[in-house]
Amino acid sequence: MSRFLRAEFVRWVLLGVAMVVLVAFLVAQQQSAGVTYGDSPARDTLDAAEPAVTLPSVEELTALVDASPVVRLPGAVATWDAPRVDAVIGDADVRILVTPPGLDKDQRRQVYDVDNVTVRVLGTQVTGGALESMPDSLAGWRTRLATGDVTEQLIPLIARLLDQPEPPEVELPGYRAPTDAELSTVVSDLRSHGVHVAAGADFTTVPAQAAAAAFPDHDPLVVVLPTQPPGEPLPAYGPALADAFPDTPILVMYGAWVEYHGPHADEFGELAAVSFYSQYGSVLSRDHYPQENVLAVYLNRVTDIRYSGLFDRPLPYQPFDPLRMALPALPWIFMVCVLGFLALSMRPLVRGVVEPRMQQAFGGGQRRRVGVRGVAAHLAGLSALAVEMSMVTDRGSDPALARGISHLQAARTALDDQLPHRHVRRLLADAEAELDEAARKVGLDFLRPRHYLQEWLA
Amino acid sequence: MAPVWAVGGVILLASGFGAALVPWLWARHRRRRVAWSAARAAIDSAAITRDAARSHHPKAAQLLARAEALAATGGGPDAARTAAAYARRADQLWRTAAGE
Repeated sequence: MSRFLRAEFVRWVLLGVAMVVLVAFLVAQQQSAGVTYGDSPARDTLDAAEPAVTLPSVEELTALVDASPVVRLPGAVATWDAPRVDAVIGDADVRILVTPPGLDKDQRRQVYDVDNVTVRVLGTQVTGGALESMPDSLAGWRTRLATGDVTEQLIPLIARLLDQPEPPEVELPGYRAPTDAELSTVVSDLRSHGVHVAAGADFTTVPAQAAAAAFPDHDPLVVVLPTQPPGEPLPAYGPALADAFPDTPILVMYGAWVEYHGPHADEFGELAAVSFYSQYGSVLSRDHYPQENVLAVYLNRVTDIRYSGLFDRPLPYQPFDPLRMALPALPWIFMVCVLGFLALSMRPLVRGVVEPRMQQAFGGGQRRRVGVRGVAAHLAGLSALAVEMSMVTDRGSDPALARGISHLQAARTALDDQLPHRHVRRLLADAEAELDEAARKVGLDFLRPRHYLQEWLA
Repeated sequence: MAPVWAVGGVILLASGFGAALVPWLWARHRRRRVAWSAARAAIDSAAITRDAARSHHPKAAQLLARAEALAATGGGPDAARTAAAYARRADQLWRTAAGE
């Protein structure tokens, strides 16, 4: 019995452990939803300049577009290589409307309400029908944002709209070495102020906080140039300045295009540019942003990349978390508990159903036999008594003997059917009472069961 | 790893229910067999008394017939106990009639 109780106790403990493990696992799932990797202080908000664009009404725009195939509203910045675009258009009737950047939402809707336009260029964002044409490389973004040149977006879009084969791509304008005069101006400015702002640039001061977060070891040198003339190579200040100022981060801005030069430029410059312009390229082309705002957001992105563990910054410290360490083991612990519970749950089933069957089939175990022997001996004794008594009975005692024998048969059947011994004993007691009555009637005291069994068993 | 939790939960539930249900079913089955074994013993005993009594006793005959009908129909332990009670009562009546 104590073994049974112990097994029962273990079974409940296993169930409890399984439940605790399950709950721990579920709670851990909830926790892992809020994991952040490092916590960069940078916050990305790109503040546009106040929209200060006035737009003619839809009717006036329609009339303008009707009058001329290319309408450039005042303040438009996008340019393109006219001969190449005209070659694609050919004789087709393609109307192009070019607006300045920085239209608000209602103004943009107004531009889209002008129905007779084929291609709309908002700032440097090129759309036609339901399509928007975007650069597919960093060089493409550079050309578009640094020079306002949208030739490479216009040509495939117009070819697509006219169902023409796309003309082969041409090489985008690259870089040229800056002249000595240009370079010496920039270098002397950087030596005295750390920043060079060329004439025409929309820039006041370097965002100091963002710069300090992005480059904690060394203040970056900043060169700000206005949007460059289209179709010409950009003056490559970066490599020249990196030679002049070793181990110093250098940022060169051409319009809304920011380049990084200096330490780790190979690993880092392109990564930062891809990360920044894949997210902000579209809004930077469509809206008008002061260059210092663009620079601030770029610096914040640099901070994010720094905090993400690249760029020789050590990984953020993660304290030891026992739950996180134990998490992979939890399913196994759970499964072990389940299997243990299952095994212990099988015990009563084995006890109650399988073991009796086995005993019936193979002759049974020692444990049962002891009990069986007592009952079986009693049955055998009473059967022998009934046989002896049948030789001396008369009519009066006959029914009692018959009833006794009937009870003995019932007891034998019950014993064979593996019914509980308590029941078999009850039937044997009934049989004994009947035999006792029969013996009393016959008047033979030594045939009374109590006496007879004592002798028989002795 | 997700199936581990689902399968484990199902096994837990099934083995819990099984551990409670199987012994209960087994005990019920055994109770029923014990009750019918006792009832049949009582009916056989009453039949022997009737044969020995040789006197006609309608009430006892009716009781025994009812008990035999119950035994033929089968049923749960309650039916078996009722049948046993009828048979014992009939046995009693015949014994009284026979003057034992």
